[in-house]
Amino acid sequence: MNQQELKDKLAEIKDKLTDIQQPLDDRISLLCEAENAYAVNKFLFEEVPLRFVIATGIDSDDCFEVLYHYAYDQLGFLITLKAFIRDRENPAIESIAPFLPGAEWIEREIHDLLGIDFKNHPDLRRLILADDWPEGVYPLRKKMAGEIAKQWPCETSVRPTTESPARRTVKLSKPVLAVGPFHPLQEEMEFFQLSVDGEIVTDIDMRISYNHRGIEGISETLQFDQVPFLVSRVCGICSASHPLAYVQAVEDIAGVTPPERALYVRVIINEFERIHSHMLWVGLAGHFIGYDTVFMWAWKYREPVLDLLEEITGNRNNYGNVKVGGCREDIPDETVPKILQEIDKLEKKTEMLTKAVLDDPIIHARLKGIGVLTKEDAIKYAVTGPTARGSGIAIDVRRDDPYAVYADLDWKVITQPEGDVFAKAVVRLLEVLEAVKIIRQAVKKLPKGPVAVEVKEIPPGEGCGHAEAPRGETFHYVRSDGGNRPVRHKIRAPSFVNVPSFRASCIGEHISDVTITLAAVDPCYSCTERLAIVDRQGSILHGYEELHRLSCEKTARLKKEIGPPEWKLEDF
Amino acid sequence: MSIPLNILFWIVVIPGTVVLGLIASWIVRKVSALVQWRVGPPLLQPLYDIMKLMGKEILVPQEAQQTIFIAAPLVSLAGILLLSIMLWRIAIVQTAFIGDIIVAIYLMTLPSLALILGSSASASPHASLGTAREMKLVMGYELSLVLAFIVVIIKTGGQISLAAIAQQAPVLSISGFLAFLVALLCIQAKLGFVPFDIAEAETELGSGVLMEYSGALLAVWKLAQAVMLVALPLFLVMVFLGGFGTAGLSLVWGIGKYVLILVLLILIKNTNPRLRIDQAMRFFWFYCGITMVIAIILAMIGYYSGIKWL
Amino acid sequence: MNWKMWSLKKSPWVFHVNTGACNNCDIEIVNLLTPKFDVERFGIKLVGSPRHADALLVTGVGTRQAVIRLREVYRQIPKPCVVFCIGACACGTGIFEGGYHVAGPVDKIIREVDPNAIIAYVPGCPPKPEAMISGVVKALSAI
Repeated sequence: MNQQELKDKLAEIKDKLTDIQQPLDDRISLLCEAENAYAVNKFLFEEVPLRFVIATGIDSDDCFEVLYHYAYDQLGFLITLKAFIRDRENPAIESIAPFLPGAEWIEREIHDLLGIDFKNHPDLRRLILADDWPEGVYPLRKKMAGEIAKQWPCETSVRPTTESPARRTVKLSKPVLAVGPFHPLQEEMEFFQLSVDGEIVTDIDMRISYNHRGIEGISETLQFDQVPFLVSRVCGICSASHPLAYVQAVEDIAGVTPPERALYVRVIINEFERIHSHMLWVGLAGHFIGYDTVFMWAWKYREPVLDLLEEITGNRNNYGNVKVGGCREDIPDETVPKILQEIDKLEKKTEMLTKAVLDDPIIHARLKGIGVLTKEDAIKYAVTGPTARGSGIAIDVRRDDPYAVYADLDWKVITQPEGDVFAKAVVRLLEVLEAVKIIRQAVKKLPKGPVAVEVKEIPPGEGCGHAEAPRGETFHYVRSDGGNRPVRHKIRAPSFVNVPSFRASCIGEHISDVTITLAAVDPCYSCTERLAIVDRQGSILHGYEELHRLSCEKTARLKKEIGPPEWKLEDF
Repeated sequence: MSIPLNILFWIVVIPGTVVLGLIASWIVRKVSALVQWRVGPPLLQPLYDIMKLMGKEILVPQEAQQTIFIAAPLVSLAGILLLSIMLWRIAIVQTAFIGDIIVAIYLMTLPSLALILGSSASASPHASLGTAREMKLVMGYELSLVLAFIVVIIKTGGQISLAAIAQQAPVLSISGFLAFLVALLCIQAKLGFVPFDIAEAETELGSGVLMEYSGALLAVWKLAQAVMLVALPLFLVMVFLGGFGTAGLSLVWGIGKYVLILVLLILIKNTNPRLRIDQAMRFFWFYCGITMVIAIILAMIGYYSGIKWL
Repeated sequence: MNWKMWSLKKSPWVFHVNTGACNNCDIEIVNLLTPKFDVERFGIKLVGSPRHADALLVTGVGTRQAVIRLREVYRQIPKPCVVFCIGACACGTGIFEGGYHVAGPVDKIIREVDPNAIIAYVPGCPPKPEAMISGVVKALSAI
């Protein structure tokens, strides 16, 4: 569809909307009342169809707003549906999770943080607040901000008991553990809890709260130019993509375009991050299936990339290099030949490894057909990044809604149709090679000029910015009222939508494939450590170490059946 | 043996065995590190580990069977020390008694049984996973080990006295060689080395048999393992390789034999991946068991027909 | 100085806890424990159970959910022991100060359980593996 057809299509639901706005060429806002939100969402997701990005809950003075963000990738449009909930005493809205499983988690989060009730939600339990967080206290409501830590201190826990408070929030197990006293630390391995029938996984539940630092809340207390440092630490390994998405959102509000050199520098740093993040993943994946030398090798070849980034930006991670209006630091000309040299070396090694992996019959047998995420499930769970591209969905923010200078460079979007772990591995390996190509072009075309423009004021308005992080689309929504701080800053990391899809790809799999299936989604490292299999009574049958061992043993078994691989890492 | 030397022996034997055990465990760690192109720990590291553990507080789980929990490591250490004393006595003083090899076999099982008892007394579901595995492993290799010793007893004409067995070198025959190989692998499992470190590795990874132990009790377990590194290869030397001499050249020869076994253990440790419990059991029950039955048959044929090399 | 602390310095076994971090420090810790840096030279070994540990490597800011676990882990470690706060977040909540879900910093939580705890700080965001080794060795020699 072209632009006009899209707008006509959206106009079909006009009777349920109160207004349609187009603040920018590729940003559309639809306004409606809460009662009509369900019907409009269903229309947008199923009829148009659009890709669901995330939902944002906002506490405005006289009402609550729930913003549903959608993307139309063919044109690079971001379409936001704003639903107004006028009842401040008992805010409620119809849940869209029944037809959009990808929205389950975000509705639980909005419920935790703002107290909005989602009717007919399949499972509205606490998601991201701690177990000892008091009921009825909603941290993102305006009146609560700043007072919470003082008034509700953490409980000082007494001697460990058999009943873990966290148990009541996990529906798979009974409140009281059937088997004697535990290490509390062992029973906290309930980040992912899988139920099994024999050796096949039947159900999954996930508990996340350990990493919740309340960044969206802290962001509202910082000034616009301090926020990039904060969001860079949302996730250590996507630490260039988050600030970039945020800064793009604010630049949309302010109507600012950074100078060309800044855009090139942003591209170079982000692609380097993609390279070292994918190398980290390759190492971990190798570790999970028992190819430990791949682990050592991949992490060893990450090091020159990190050293180069340290030379350019001053740190191996958390670069702090983007700001509203451009970049904080330039790439010195002396570094350019070094960059070219390093990526040449890296390209050779990665090509050899890719070829070896693509030809290795054991890796084929081990990873093909495992952890399949079908295209339909991938759309329903709204996944992005290599997880989506490995299931045949050709979305990539760099091509769909080009930011920085991706539109001026020559590169390909890598997709694979099968949806299994092997497909995702191939996507990531080939993306490293594409990233090398991009960096080479960007470095050669690097124009002269300043690296930032001065931005004095951020006018009132709202902006959506997204960037393609190594794991998928990072989306930031920023609302400003003309002051110094964001009124609302919504951060959606790609893993937030990718990790729940683990449920679709893992049920029905053998327990020896569980670790690699989770790793294929590429969550943050510490997520995969917290994986356990429980029986009906809730006692742990297999911990993470056991699952890892099973995974390595399956590989060894396949090695024996098929014969050892023909390539050795020592040759590289 | 004269009285002063006798007294010297009794004073030196236990500390000496402990020191030898610590040195042996350092050798194992250092060689493993060199194989991985690393530098490895300093010479006194095993000693530092034990000292540090002795200085930590002992935490006993609330629901554990306290008597067994505390007694298990002590039983393990006592058993293996007794075995060491017996072996040194036979080697140096040449006192032996009929049936001492049977006593030795019993004493060798004590550490494994103590491990199983200790970990099941911990009342921890994670340790219990490791306990079940350890039990299966013990059932697997004990039988093969006993069969290997039976081969030796047959070859030496029914002598169940270690001193007499130590005069001969049963390894220089087909059945004896097979028995030696099997016994070596069983010792590997008993020591908890790769590829049979099913219980040991889980300790490192968090769900092992020794998970609940801390402080001085853990130190005793580590000490027992260090002493096992002296006693078990020594036992193999005496049973298969022709004894451990005490004077001049035969002493050097004896030390050489001991080092050979240590080297074999380290080699096997560093060149193999870890086995799963059912693979290990199949290995011991099926492969080792059949091999041992064949070896016994060969040994009997060899003995009754006077062919030495069978 | 008594022999307990001396032998602890010679053979510090470490246990790693993440109390809500961006994972950069955790990745650098994993880097640290690979054979490339060979921490076995210092007697350092990664153990899987806090009961075997002498040193606790804590990363992260101490979120409310994670500190429940951190307190229990600290109680399970047999004393004497040392707590290493790795990274700016663990040393003093870093950039997350004042967040509603932040119960840290880590040293405050540890001192709630044990006012006499020995705590060492290795700052950085994230500290490089070499910096971590240097920090650990310096802290141990200063005890």
